Amino acid sequence: MVWRRGRLILSEESRQETTSERTARGRTHGAFRCLNCFERIVPPEKAESYKCPKCGFEWRVSWPSPTIPRIRGPVWETNRRLTDEIMAKEKGQGK
Amino acid sequence: MALNRKIAYIDLSSGKVETKPISMEMRKKYLGGRGLDAYLLYNNTKAGVDPLGPDNVCLVSAGILVGTLASATARTHIAGKSPLTGYFGSTNMGGFFAPEMRWAGFDHLVIRGKAEKPVYLWIHNGEIEIRDAKDIWGKGVRDTQSIIREEMGDREIKVMTIGIAGENLVRYANVMTEIKNSGGRTGMGALLGSKNLKAIAVRGTLDIKIEHPVEALEYNKQIISQITSAKVSQEQGRLGTLFIWGATNSQGLVRTRNFQLNQMEDSDGIEPETFEDSAFGMTGCFGCQVHCRAKYIIPDGDYKGTYDEGPEYTSIGAFAAEPGCTDLTTILTGNHLVNDYGMDTLEIGSMIAWAMELYEKGILTDKDTDGLDLSFGNEKAVIEMIHRIAHREGLGDILAEGPLRAAEKIGKDSIRYQVHVKGMSNLHSDERPTPALALGIATASRGSDHLRSRPAIDLYHLPEAVLRQIYSQPVAYEGPLTSDYTDYEGKSWQVFWQEMCYMAVDCLGICKYHTIFLGPNFPNFEEWSKLLYYNTGLELTPLEIWTIAERTNDLERMFNLREGLARSDDWLVDAYFDEPTKLGIPLIRDRVIDRDKFKQMIDEFYAFHGWDEQGKLKPETLKRLGLDKEPSHLL
Repeated sequence: MVWRRGRLILSEESRQETTSERTARGRTHGAFRCLNCFERIVPPEKAESYKCPKCGFEWRVSWPSPTIPRIRGPVWETNRRLTDEIMAKEKGQGK
Repeated sequence: MALNRKIAYIDLSSGKVETKPISMEMRKKYLGGRGLDAYLLYNNTKAGVDPLGPDNVCLVSAGILVGTLASATARTHIAGKSPLTGYFGSTNMGGFFAPEMRWAGFDHLVIRGKAEKPVYLWIHNGEIEIRDAKDIWGKGVRDTQSIIREEMGDREIKVMTIGIAGENLVRYANVMTEIKNSGGRTGMGALLGSKNLKAIAVRGTLDIKIEHPVEALEYNKQIISQITSAKVSQEQGRLGTLFIWGATNSQGLVRTRNFQLNQMEDSDGIEPETFEDSAFGMTGCFGCQVHCRAKYIIPDGDYKGTYDEGPEYTSIGAFAAEPGCTDLTTILTGNHLVNDYGMDTLEIGSMIAWAMELYEKGILTDKDTDGLDLSFGNEKAVIEMIHRIAHREGLGDILAEGPLRAAEKIGKDSIRYQVHVKGMSNLHSDERPTPALALGIATASRGSDHLRSRPAIDLYHLPEAVLRQIYSQPVAYEGPLTSDYTDYEGKSWQVFWQEMCYMAVDCLGICKYHTIFLGPNFPNFEEWSKLLYYNTGLELTPLEIWTIAERTNDLERMFNLREGLARSDDWLVDAYFDEPTKLGIPLIRDRVIDRDKFKQMIDEFYAFHGWDEQGKLKPETLKRLGLDKEPSHLL
């Protein structure tokens, strides 16, 4: 982007999209990323918990607004069990 | 115009006040706020100055966009040599003080000397008066503000003040304004206390002329829309900064029981959503639409029925995760007490948790604690220790000295359990799985710090293409970038970039939540260039703003080097390298920072800065940034 002194308001350049405006177009609503595998998850409306279809980790969900789900916390028992299994497997493989 | 505000030199020893204009040349070099403060601190102190002595200066400033039509421009910056670390002391708070100071005619205050008896400053439309503070000395943060407003008969007066902790020179005392806006970290409250300066009250009715008001309003509408439509803003507007807890604790990125564990398991009772039951709405700072500050009433306990605001994300760490407590009331009460005493939440939580681990290990005994059971999870002990530290009673007197001095006094290997950088405690985050975040806290200019260079969006697993768009402007970058937050590749550039970004907002006076901190597509250099022009008429390209940030960062570095900082100070405590994480998701478990890779990251970080292997500015860097003639005494 070229910035010309004294012509900022009138110049075409000033009306070009900025980087942050450009990246903002990629925003998604109604979804969050699984904190284990980073898969983008779309839980059903008002769901209180949801299992990641890719990795099986389960998250308790809250809704700051009707279109914005967020991870409130893990379903402890499920995620602990899965983590222990994965860690044991990795240990067995010498990782 | 917005740039005609002055700088005032106030000598509390002699009572002399002098005002000067700020030249356009200085604006173009440092903008204002933290930028110009770095210049003023460097040029108005000598190496080795006693942080609590009369020759240290206390700088109070507004960012260059504060009080204009740009949104979230509320930030007050306070600086001086830190009583906690002995290095660059700096803090930044929201609220309404800085805009009022600009409307009263001033952008910067340089306060030196020491008053014979407690005083406060009264600043009103270009006038500065030093007043007797006998009626407010010994009062808490809230009462002090109420008394001043009542005495002056004006409820619109804005006050920044210290509480009892600042008077008692607790080395991590805060400067406060309103109910809970806190200038925390590095002990600027102790600096005011050492000068017998209880408060600064301001009231202003001088207009700030906006250079291009129609465009400024129009453009600000776009910025507001960009911010308020983001998910993070909506979560923050509902839950405050507490919302961060959901992501960090769920993964295992929270240090608990001092630094023994990295997750609070089964801690559903202190989740942000639980806190909503005690809250009744949100409020915000000047010019902000997000409103991230909850209003609440303490539901039970000794302070039942007391009103306060917050708590912040750091409050969960300080009063729950670190001391291993699980009662929401402890968080709400602890938050209330530190707000009124004027103490750094993060530091006090760390100091108490450290003392708890020493008690667990038998390094501290009942004799040292005057019979107080300092076991992890003892909610009452946490509250009691807050009182004792503020009043410097018993063990509290030792803990009030901060990590290094307290460890020296206690001895017996106690330093081994401290979690600090440059003598300032770490946030309650666990950076062992996240090298980028670890590098940020190791190298920040004011000691361990999550607000100076943390690439928090590194945790979002953003696609590499998005990262490249963000991190390749306004300076081209073609090196590696990766979505994997456990990786070391390319992270030093991200930390460097964020350091410039945060410095720029601190010079402009914009809140960090309105740039790329938690929101990956929030305004940054390109937007600021326009905001500056529309509001002040100052024409600076995004790259020129970046260069100002670089200059100011390097001047802070020069201050620290002058005070004896060495490469070895840009480092983490041994536990980061030697003790693997025990909890959390698989990606987080069994993680330590790799020493060799970390050294390499620091080398890269220094190289981006134009510093040599020892972290000193190379001659060509000094010249490029126009710092080769410091001290300059232009102001």
